[in-house]
Amino acid sequence: MIGVGIKKGTAELAILSVLEDGPLHGYELSRRIEKQTRGALSFSLAALYPMLYRMEQRRWIRGAWETSSNGRRRRCYRLTAEGKKKLSPLRAEWLELFGALRRLTKVSNA
Amino acid sequence: MPDWAKIVRQRLANLALEDDDPAQVFDEIASHLEENYRSLLNEGCSEEEALCRTLADAGDWQVLRKKIELSRKKEFTVPQRVKQFWIPALLTLFCSMVLLMLIQFFGPQPTILGSSSKLRITPVAVVYISWLITLPFVGAAGAYLSTRAGGRPRAVFTSIIFPILPYLAFFLVGLPVALILDDRVAHNITIPAFFVGLCAWVIFPGVALLAGGLAAQY
Repeated sequence: MIGVGIKKGTAELAILSVLEDGPLHGYELSRRIEKQTRGALSFSLAALYPMLYRMEQRRWIRGAWETSSNGRRRRCYRLTAEGKKKLSPLRAEWLELFGALRRLTKVSNA
Repeated sequence: MPDWAKIVRQRLANLALEDDDPAQVFDEIASHLEENYRSLLNEGCSEEEALCRTLADAGDWQVLRKKIELSRKKEFTVPQRVKQFWIPALLTLFCSMVLLMLIQFFGPQPTILGSSSKLRITPVAVVYISWLITLPFVGAAGAYLSTRAGGRPRAVFTSIIFPILPYLAFFLVGLPVALILDDRVAHNITIPAFFVGLCAWVIFPGVALLAGGLAAQY
């Protein structure tokens, strides 16, 4: 199980990466992250929405109310141009960190 | 179906947001809980079980309220242009001026350059060699700060040479204007003075700043 400290750092990357594939509302976003990480990363309400609001304030994502085909109103988030720009250095930083940790702990994929 | 909007309004009743309407947040959280509830029902949970699990998944409402309030507060962020250009540029200008002032007060005497042996009527340029020696360090600091902030080559270059820009403006604008408007400026020495002054206050310091700035890049 991944610890809270590491999860906090990965949350921004996870949200931006998932939104890169297309706009999603909060619930779907959290389910998608949970599914794609096979449960290793999961967001509580208190983690997800404050994070989304902070990222929206930084203009990395933009939320807008939409009405789905079944008539339910949901706030969908989409990646902005600024968010796209932020994603690649974030990815590079994490790759560098994982590489360094792999070398340090001598953990390999094999 | 539980009234999720009502549940959320009750539990986040004290939510205080600086500029935004809390109703938007209530609606969004309610929509999330409703999705969660429906999903649990689809998985085969009873209504009661789905309700309990949805509320349990929501966690501590006071924590949620505080975190939402914090996340909606305006963050102070320094714009990229300020970090990449203005801070390094103003720092190089400030450091170079302070160094020049200190050298003028406490440093060795400046070298006085005449325009040529033929026209050595008045000294037309005062060169502070010791100041020029310190400028590569100032340029290096500007280049380092701008590069560290992710500045592009143009921002880095301008940050390095920023201290000479006021002098350049003087020679390109101030001096010609003075020549036109002020009869007391000695016109017989103006052209040589212009070039010697330009070398002493723009070219030499610029080269010194760039030498340090470019060295800091490698």
